[in-house]
Order: sequence, then structure tokens, then C-alpha cells
Amino acid sequence: MSNHDEELTPTPGQRAINLFRRTDVQRALLFTILWTAVFVILGLYFYPKWMPEVMSRDMKAMERIIVGFTVISAPIAGLVMGIATQAITNRHKGDTPPPDGPAIRTNGPVVMVWTVVSGIFCLIAVVWGIAELNSMALEATAGSKEALHVQVIGSQWVWSFKYTDLGVESDKLMLPINRPVEFEVTSEDVNHSFWPLQLGVKVDANRLQTTVADTVPTKLGPIDVKCAELCGLYHAYMETSGKVMTTTDFNNWVTSNGGHVA
Amino acid sequence: MTTLHNTSTHARPIPNPKKSLITKLNMGTGIIVGVIFAFAAYYAFQPNADTAGFYNQQNKALLAAMLFWSVGFLIGIGAFIGPFRWLIGKDLTAEEQLYLAGDGQGIKRYFKYCTDHKVVGIQYLVGVMAMLAVGGGMAMMIRTSLAVPGGHFIGASVYNSLVGMHGITMIVAMIIVATGPFGNYIMPIMIGARDMAFPRLNALSWWVLFTAIPVLCSAWFLGGIPTGWTAYAPLSVQAGPGMNAFVATILIFAVSTAVAGMNITSTVVAMRAKGMKWNRVPIFVVGATMSVALAIPAFPTFMLAMVQTATDRVFNTGFYDANVGGSGWLYAHLFWIMGHPEVYVILLPGIAILMEIAPVFVRKPLFSYNAAIMGFAGIAGLSVLVWAHHMYISGWTPTLNGPFMVTTEMISVPTGLLFLVMLGTIWRGKPWMKLPMLGLFAVIWNLLIGGITGIYLSDVPADNYLHGSMFVTAHFHYTLMGAALTGAVAGLAYWFPKMTGRMLNEPAGYTAFWFTQIGFQVLFLGMFIAGAEGQPRRVVSFAAMYKYSNMISTGGAYLVGIGFIILLWAVIHSWRKGDIAPQNPWGAKTLEWTVPYPVPLENFDEAPIITSDPYGYGKGN
Amino acid sequence: MSSDTASHTEFHIHHDAPAVVGRRERLGVRLLIVADGAFVFGMIFSYFYLRGLNANNSWVPKGGHTLAASNGWIVAAPLVVAAIVHKLGVKSRSSLTAGIVLLAMLVGAYLQWHQLAHMPFIAVDDGGRHYFEGAYASNWVVLAGANMFHYIIGIFLALGLFIRGFRAKVDPTLEYWRQLTAGSWFTWIAAAGILCAITTGII
Repeated sequence: MSNHDEELTPTPGQRAINLFRRTDVQRALLFTILWTAVFVILGLYFYPKWMPEVMSRDMKAMERIIVGFTVISAPIAGLVMGIATQAITNRHKGDTPPPDGPAIRTNGPVVMVWTVVSGIFCLIAVVWGIAELNSMALEATAGSKEALHVQVIGSQWVWSFKYTDLGVESDKLMLPINRPVEFEVTSEDVNHSFWPLQLGVKVDANRLQTTVADTVPTKLGPIDVKCAELCGLYHAYMETSGKVMTTTDFNNWVTSNGGHVA
Repeated sequence: MTTLHNTSTHARPIPNPKKSLITKLNMGTGIIVGVIFAFAAYYAFQPNADTAGFYNQQNKALLAAMLFWSVGFLIGIGAFIGPFRWLIGKDLTAEEQLYLAGDGQGIKRYFKYCTDHKVVGIQYLVGVMAMLAVGGGMAMMIRTSLAVPGGHFIGASVYNSLVGMHGITMIVAMIIVATGPFGNYIMPIMIGARDMAFPRLNALSWWVLFTAIPVLCSAWFLGGIPTGWTAYAPLSVQAGPGMNAFVATILIFAVSTAVAGMNITSTVVAMRAKGMKWNRVPIFVVGATMSVALAIPAFPTFMLAMVQTATDRVFNTGFYDANVGGSGWLYAHLFWIMGHPEVYVILLPGIAILMEIAPVFVRKPLFSYNAAIMGFAGIAGLSVLVWAHHMYISGWTPTLNGPFMVTTEMISVPTGLLFLVMLGTIWRGKPWMKLPMLGLFAVIWNLLIGGITGIYLSDVPADNYLHGSMFVTAHFHYTLMGAALTGAVAGLAYWFPKMTGRMLNEPAGYTAFWFTQIGFQVLFLGMFIAGAEGQPRRVVSFAAMYKYSNMISTGGAYLVGIGFIILLWAVIHSWRKGDIAPQNPWGAKTLEWTVPYPVPLENFDEAPIITSDPYGYGKGN
Repeated sequence: MSSDTASHTEFHIHHDAPAVVGRRERLGVRLLIVADGAFVFGMIFSYFYLRGLNANNSWVPKGGHTLAASNGWIVAAPLVVAAIVHKLGVKSRSSLTAGIVLLAMLVGAYLQWHQLAHMPFIAVDDGGRHYFEGAYASNWVVLAGANMFHYIIGIFLALGLFIRGFRAKVDPTLEYWRQLTAGSWFTWIAAAGILCAITTGII
């Protein structure tokens, strides 16, 4: 952005030094650093604070991506805001138009560098996203043999869970810790979206279709299950709770509800 | 509005068309004929024994009444006189065309089928402000209801309807907010044209849109729209009679958009002044044209989705009914094939307005005109390839999520170019902080936040958490309201002197700016937090854990509300009693500032000849 | 764009040269064809999407009815005839050409209406409610309806050209351009008819 130099200087090194001697460049840099810090703090401190407890590896990956993207994009966002802030400090007061500025029509290298850098950032985002996606998929295939199958049925406006292998039905989502679980999600009427917050799983429930999502709960504790797709009058109330428990507790729960432990 | 008398400097003979039908028709006759048609259709399509099993009787009669209202209104206002006269081989005479252009008819022409592009521009402006006011009022009710957990203020049914009505009202308003008023009033003057390419179709696009407004409002009396503005099937097929209003609104609006888009595109392609080569076209014209040109192929798929919804609801076809081979996924595809280009249809003109403003207020040329074009073209081109990122979690074909993630994230590159153009233009300038320029800085911040949060949402794993949450709502309000609407308001402040002949009241304008922008940040910061915490969108009631974030949001919403009321007052007051504006108050170099106010009927006495682009500011230029 | 300007003493509506107006009108119609094309694309997308998905095995359910592929070609043929006749006769602007085009449109519209009135795939459930028995049926009726819409616009244009052929108080250059513009539409609806016929032929 900042090498619109008017003086013709012989060496690139000299040009760079002259550039950084300019007060507007120095000020823009200072604001860039300040803004970058703001975005980094936002990413590193606030997002993890806002997001719910991490209770699976998928959820961990999601948090990592949101925080990571914020931090990566912080320098670019900082530069944009740095230049804008610098311009504001240089504003013109009064009721008549300001004096003419330099007639810069374009600057080839700047446009080039800007495009390439934003392309690289875009590439990082894409590669990272695909890598996480792949590792999630691999994890799911690896765990699918021993997976606990839970049929999730959405209907206006309740969730119900069928543990097909264990012969148990429930309106609460009970899961054993550290065992892969495969949700087979479907709907009896309109579209719903199955969303157990802390597990980092979200998948739509479609009528007469089964969509599959999987995860491995890695932490004991309560789960909130919500519906994330507007499904009619009581969409807001289509929620239930659940729990990740130890294997023993889970087996006890299964037997006490008339099921059999495999 | 009293200042809008057409007092041109021309001495012109009073036109004397034969006392034909044309002179007798206006909005009043349109409403009368439209209402008659609506009632006639409603009773003609009542249940009868022959078709008893075949139709959903209530939907059939209501939908027919709504569509016939629109057709009846257009007949009553005289929209079809031109085509009819063509059909019978008796084309409109020059006198009749002059009459239709509203020559010498004062304020009455605003209520007629008037073909003057400046009249249509003002009609759009007033219509858009009314829609934004209604939509904003509904937003205030939504936020009031969400001030505390538990949803005690209004019931679930009213709440869901508010969400749907607010959404669709605002989307319709935002699609036309820049290209309606400025694309019609300013753009033809900017390119040195005497009128739009098709003046009668220009009037048609506005009046067709006008007929959609009462149809949409009728939803309130028919049980509301319970589906949100996305109207996902099969919920929309299951929904009550109010849904017909939504379907009819979109069918009507799609016609209006196609006609307006084709008209603006044709005007820019075929009516530019002598010498205005493509690299001399003002950047607003480029952005607005790309926007409407993108809308031309995008909207028909939404129209098709609504046709299918209508046939599912009325004739019991099964497009969205899985029992008979349909699928809600089909709706989502058709909807988002329109829906994602549509957000850029909304965004591009707003950004283009700011690019038009920036050089004037920093007295520097636009930085890299070519980068701006590439940015617009890149966004428009990519936007048709990204629709399925709204369906990552729908389960339709998870293997295609990866490719759609790639196309979506690629959009950040042309978007980055738009930032570069805006920043490069203000760099090393001394920005003159008038109202339009404040808008530029607000949009840089808002679009930055909207853009970065958009990158999270474009990422499949992150979207897995954020999809369908308040985070999404906050994200798209940052882009649509924070960027596109702020850009359009900046455009209003910029072109107000040309459109009304008066200056916009500055103290009130500044006050409104700070209220809306600060309130906006508070409002949607709260909503980002609520989304990150895991609050789903479109919920009337939420758990106590989201208490504080929602309270923050509601507080911010009231600030925004106050700001917009002040802005509305400023616009109305300044329009009536503001300071008389000089011909070119900002010292800009585009053509619209070379014509006096009121702008003569055909804009220019002498057709202008263009020798350079309008950005020749700066030392040594 | 043009050389003459409004005079200072007397006001009149400005007129561009007929060829300029004609070219502009054709551009406008072509843009509208883009919009209509997107609609047709959407219908074909719907057709093949639901065909591929075959939800609940109900693309064509067991015992369901279909129409022979020839039905699509029957209603496309008059469109093709009209487009070709119009194209051949565009220079002469004879009433005969316009009459043939109009006749072809009317015949085609009748055939399309006849097919719509005799759809075989409407079923009745226990409650006496009629419904389309599968996704094929649903798609077919919307494709046919769109084709009917094309016919209606085509009839309007053909009728106008026919009537205008007798009332010659028109600028010949502009009228020639309007023939070309109408030709754009006729060619497009013929192409759309063929596309629909191909689509509905793949059951």
C-alpha cells in the first residue's frame, strides 16, 4: 500500500528507508499494530470464552479454526483499519473541499502484492479447512466399527433418540465417554437440525432421508441439544438435554431403562 | 414533497394529447380496478363440486386474488396501453409519449404511470424508505421481545411471523435500495442519457413492485409467514394461508426485478454519451450494472421455487413432499442458487456508491479503476458457484462440501480488491469528513467484520458449529446493513442535493450517523456473542445463559432505532425546508452535477461528449 | 449516442435513429431471454435432481403413469415451425408469414392445452384429495405450464405482427428491427421447447 514515493531514489533500499521515514507511513504502521493486537486478543481470549465447553475432538477442531482464522486474518484486518485510522487523523476540516491530493491512478506492484497476499491467505484457509475436514472423516471411519448407533428423530417439536443396538428409547441424549457414536438423523415432518452444542455436531433432519454425523465425546458433563432450523411454531422450544457419562453409568442407565448391554 | 414542482426553464407548449384514456388513469384507478379484479378472482375461484378434490381451495382463491390484484392494478393504471396499442398497430404518438413522461404535470405525475426516470427514481426512494421503516419497526419489536429470556412479550406465532416479515421486507428493500432510487434517478444522467432505454418498462418495474407491497402486508391478516424469509420447504407447504402472500410477493417481485435489471443493463450498454468508453464509465454505474445484470439470471430460480411451492400448495404436486418423490433439498438448491448471488446484488451497488464518493471527498483519482472492475466482476462471477455453502449441514451430498468451500473462500480475493480500491483512494489524501465520507469509513469497518466472519462460515467445520445460530444473523447484518445499507445512506446524503434541490441537514445527519453506527456495533457484537455461545437464530425464547448478550443487542437496537428516526426526520425536514443546494455542492466531476435542479425532462440541452473519466482530481492530473 | 438535441424554444420528446432504437430493443429482449433461460434451467435442474434422488422410490411410483416422449416433441414442433417461418420471412414482412407463424402458435397452444387437460398421472387418496403421483408428474406439469406461457407470449407477438402487417403506418427500418427482435424470442422458445422435449423424454 505504502510505497507511492514521489522522489526518485536510486536503490530500492534507499526507497524503503525513505518510505518508513514518512510520518503518515509511521502512523499507519502504528495503528496497524494496535488494530492487529485488538483482533488477536479477540481471537485468542474472547472466542474460547464465549463458546461452550469443548466435549469432543470435533468441537475442539471447530474452536481451533475460529480462533486460528481470527489470528491469521488479524494482520490484514489490522492493516485495513490502520490505513483507515491514519486517514481519519489526517482529515480536512471546513466547508470547502480539501486541496487536491497526489494524482495516483494506480500502483501496479501494490495491486499485485495485495492480490497475491490475499490469495495466499485464502489458500491457507482452504487447505486448513480441508485438512480438518479430512481428519474428521478419517476419525469417523476409524471409529465406525465399534460405534454406538443412535437414531435421532426430529418431529414438531421434540427430539427422540433410539439406541437401536441396545433396545432403549429416550428423549434425553445419554452417551458413554470415549466411545465413537454415530447419529442417524431423520425427521417425521419438516426440516429440523440436530445440534448438541458441546459435541460440535450439527446435521439437518430431513423427512424420509437419513443423514449421518459422528463424534467421540471426550469429556463428562451435561449436553444441550437444540434445533438449528426453523421448524414452525415452537421451534424455539425444541430442545432437550443430555449427558456424557462413564461407561458404567451409561450401562446402568441402559439396563434401568429396559435395554440390554451388548 | 412540495418542492418538487416541475418548473423547468424551458418554455414549452402545453401538450394536447387527444382526450384519450391515458389522461384519466392514475394510481386511484389502478387501485379500484385491482381491488375489483382481486374480489372477482377470489369469488370465481371459490370451491365448486367439479374441482373439489383437485385444489386446495383456500390457497387457490387467495393466491388468485393476489395475482389478479396485481394484474388489475396494472390495467387500471394504464400499464398495458402501450403493448395493446402496439398489438393493434396504433403506436403511441409523440404527444402521448410526452404526456406519459409527465411533462408539466407537477406532483400528480408521482401518482401516475410516469415514464420519466427521475420520477421513477423518487418513487423508488419513497417506497424504499417506507419499506425500511416498516422492516425496521419489526426489527425493534423482535429485539424488544428478545430483551429478556423466555419470550414473554409476544407469542411464538407472532414472533415467527415478525422474523419472516422483517426478513423479506428488508431483503426486498435492500435489493432496490441503491439501484432503485439512484440507478433510476442519477445513473442515466451520469452516463449522459436522456432517459432509460425503455421508459415505459421503467414505470412498469416500479408499479409492479408497488403491487407487491399490499400483497405482502396482507400476510398479517392471513396468519403471518411462519417460515422466515428463506421459506424452506416442506415447512412452507405446511404453512397456513399467510404463506400465499409470501409466494405472490416473490412472483410479483421477480417480474419487477427482471424488468428493472434488463432496463438498467440495456441503458448502460446502449445509451452512454458520445465518448464514454467502457473505461470512462463512472464506477457507480459499473457496480450497479453488474449488480442488476447478476440479478437477471439469479432471480428466476427463486421464482421457480415459488411456482413449485404454489403448485405444491394449490394443486398438490410433490416437489417438496418426500412421500411422492420430492425433497426439501431441491428447494434449498433453487433458493440459494438465487440467494447467494442476491447478497452480492445487494452489496455491489453500496460499495460502488462509496467508490464514487471517495475520489470527490479526498480530491484524488479513484485508485486502480481496473482493480475495482476486477473485484466486481470476480465477485459476480464466483457468486453463482457458491450457493451450496448454505447447505453444508443439510446432508444432501457431504462430499461436495469441499469444492463449495473452495469457491466460497475464493471470493475473499475479489472482495480484497474492493478494499484495496477504497483504501488506495483515501491513502495520502485529506478526507473531507462530510456525511457521505463518514459512510465510507463505517463501511470499511463493517465490511471487514462481515468479511472475516464470512470466512469462518465458509469453512465447513467451523460452519458446523455456527450454522443456524445468531452468529450467522450478525454476520449477514454486517454485510447487508453495515455495508450495503450504510453505503446507500451515504449515497442518499451525496445525491440528496441533486434529487431534491436542497442540502441534507448536517447536524441531524451527523447525530443520526453516530447513533446508528454505534448502536449497530453494540447490537451485533451482542449477537455475535450469543451465536458463539450457541443460541440458534429465529427463536422466540432463549435460555438464561444468553441473557447478557441479548440484553446488549437490544440496547444497541434501540440506539439504531433512534438514529434512523433522526435520519428520517432529517430527510423529510430537509426535503421540505432545507437550504437550497448549489448545482455542484461537492465539486464532483461526474455528469449529474452539470445539470440544474430541477433536472429538465430530457436532462441535457446539448448531448454531452465525454473526453476522460470523471476522476481527474489531484495535482498534476 | 445521437447528434440532434432538444431545442431551446420548443420542447419535444427526443427520438433516436430507428436502427439505434431497434438494436436497443433487441438487446432488452435478449436480456429477458436470459432471465427466462434461467427459469428453464431451474426446471431442468429440478427434473434431473429429483430423478436422481428418487426419494421414497417415487420418481415414478409403482404402477405410476408416464407420458410417451413424443408428447414433448409434438408441442415443440409448432414452435420450431414458427421460428423457421419467421426467420425466412423476416425480410419480406408479408402477412402470409405472420399468418403462418400465428397459426402455428395457436395450434401448438391448443396441443399443449390438450395435453395438460388429459394428464394421466393424477391420483386420488382416501380422502378424495387429488395429487400428482410422483416427482416425474410434478415436474412434467410445471414444464408444460412454462411451455404454455411461452406460447401465450408467442401468440401475442405473432398476433401483433400479423395485425401490424395491414396497418403500415410504421417506420420500415424500426419495423424490420422489431421483426428481428420478435425472431429472437421465437427462436428462444423453440429452443426451450426442444430442451423440454429432450428432458421429458428421459424418464
